[in-house]
Amino acid sequence: MGALIAVARTLKLRHGASEHAITIVDEQHVRVDEVDIPVRANGDGSLRVGSAGRLAWSMAAGNTRWVFLDGRVYEFEVPAGRGRARGAGHHGSLSAPMPATVRRINVKVGDRVERGDTLLILEAMKMELPVKSQSAGVIETINCQEGELVQPGVPLIEIEEADEA
Amino acid sequence: MTLRRVLIANRGEIAVRIIRACRESRIEAIAVYSDADEKSLHARLADRAIRIGPPAPGESYLSIPRLIEAAQSTQADAIHPGYGFLSERAAFARACEEAGIVFIGPPAAVIEKMGSKIAARELMQSAGVPVVPGQTPADQTDEGVLAAAKAIGYPVLVKASAGGGGKGMRALAGEAGAREAVQSARRESAAAFGDGTLYVERLVQRPRHVEIQVLADNHGHVVHLFERECSLQRRHQKVIEETPSVAIDDSVRARMGDAAVAAARACGYRNAGTIEFLVEGSGKHARFYFLEMNTRLQVEHPVTEEVVGVDLVRAQLAVAAGAPLPWTQTELGQRGHAIECRVYAEDPANGFLPQAGRLLLYREPSGPGIRVDSGFVEGDTIAVSYDPLIAKLVASAETRTAAIERASAALRAFPVLGIRTNIAFLLRLLEDPAFRRGDVHTGYIDEHLAALNRDEPPALEAVAAAALASHTQAVAIAPAAGSSRPDPWSQLGGWGR
Repeated sequence: MGALIAVARTLKLRHGASEHAITIVDEQHVRVDEVDIPVRANGDGSLRVGSAGRLAWSMAAGNTRWVFLDGRVYEFEVPAGRGRARGAGHHGSLSAPMPATVRRINVKVGDRVERGDTLLILEAMKMELPVKSQSAGVIETINCQEGELVQPGVPLIEIEEADEA
Repeated sequence: MTLRRVLIANRGEIAVRIIRACRESRIEAIAVYSDADEKSLHARLADRAIRIGPPAPGESYLSIPRLIEAAQSTQADAIHPGYGFLSERAAFARACEEAGIVFIGPPAAVIEKMGSKIAARELMQSAGVPVVPGQTPADQTDEGVLAAAKAIGYPVLVKASAGGGGKGMRALAGEAGAREAVQSARRESAAAFGDGTLYVERLVQRPRHVEIQVLADNHGHVVHLFERECSLQRRHQKVIEETPSVAIDDSVRARMGDAAVAAARACGYRNAGTIEFLVEGSGKHARFYFLEMNTRLQVEHPVTEEVVGVDLVRAQLAVAAGAPLPWTQTELGQRGHAIECRVYAEDPANGFLPQAGRLLLYREPSGPGIRVDSGFVEGDTIAVSYDPLIAKLVASAETRTAAIERASAALRAFPVLGIRTNIAFLLRLLEDPAFRRGDVHTGYIDEHLAALNRDEPPALEAVAAAALASHTQAVAIAPAAGSSRPDPWSQLGGWGR
């Protein structure tokens, strides 16, 4: 296990659109985008970071790295494999952000919609959540029914996007 | 009579809160849980825990027959409904009465009367309590509701006649989009309360929400425990509450207290309740209007407990057992300032979508003047079926500024990882200059959402901490085989590219 720390390691971490190149120099030094940052893990999920020794908390889950620093929470992604960025995921399809019940579908296949139109209404945790179109276009497919319990990440509606030009 | 055993018909932080009050009162606490909550804190803390059904609220926490059966099978003398769920359902209070179980709250008839906005209004008017112009249209079709809105004059508020908590509530600025909003309000009301009847009232512009806590015993005594200001709301869900209110002076405070006591007397109230008022203007010119009565314990009751120096839940238990009020009005006063921040599992940057998932790291702050009421511990899962409230952080101090600073410092030391929360959003609210001045209203958050949601890129320190997350745990956690934390070894493959 000691060998894990002794060997310098590099990794990338993504936050939104920006990517950081990191080298873990040793147990007490991390280089982030060419800047050396002193670190000291406390062993309970918390660490001291930077020359001022700010108290941060971090936790890894899958490819996500969670950090709590001074009341703010950041989620970093370890890029999976090469190439394709994990974007927000509206390449013409809309999916539920969490398990939810489809309360109402406002459109049918072939309908022309504008950006911001409410396409369907989901219900989760006793709240109605309107799902709005991210772009103008034509409804291509509808993969859900009213009353259906849907899971996150599964495309509910696919839209053929109109050209912005 | 003496209460020996109380069944708590709720879950999460409020169930935990009530269990603690039972314990201090030497009353046995019986928890109920759905399959989603079998290992939850409230089920573990109670003296006994009874399974009442699957996760869906309708088959568990909202099932009157199952709760009554659980109370009977454990020979509970009383049921505490908490807030939400069945707490304001007259049918539940009646079922308790019929089963010979004490309902810790007002009589069913009072819940019924105050639960109907129209009956409550009429009663308040007759008791001399000021009300906002409004009506429940006899014609409940879209046309009927829209005609009522027009007659009252836009802007109007459309809301569920049957319940509170912001569910099924919509503000209509004018006729544009009004029909869709009415339909949505009706659906949400029907889903939340099983009753889609809508109520329409004039929308008071830039109102503050100031409510008065009351407590009544079975012997005709009623006291008020002063106000709570809950103006910081988002879509009518309270976010930050405090007491005293900066909006009212002592003379208005006294008049509101008197009005609340008159209101409680007028409806024959028993146990703890809250009269909510809308306040227009501030200082000695503030005008107040009856909004509604919550015939139950409120989420935000802790700020009153901190500033008045009482235990409302213990008082509820005593009064339900038939004891006289533990205090007279003249014994009650406010001292210092308290502020509550509701920590929700939600994503402010993404329309405040409720979040479900695991609390991978969860460490509550502590220290002088800090109280955290929560129903979860590290490793617990926030389920999709229920309210996304994780914890209530209550800070109290000698002045408002000191209480705000204390809340702010505590939130900055309240790491929650593994699920998105509103902690950063709460901190921005606490830093907001208008809030610091006390110059806010119930629409303030919605109007300033973009500014309150502003976000900056992470400091390099945060990136360094993220880089070390897996690294640290690979070393620190590896020996603990079967640990509930995520397996660090599975993440090592991502390195060294």
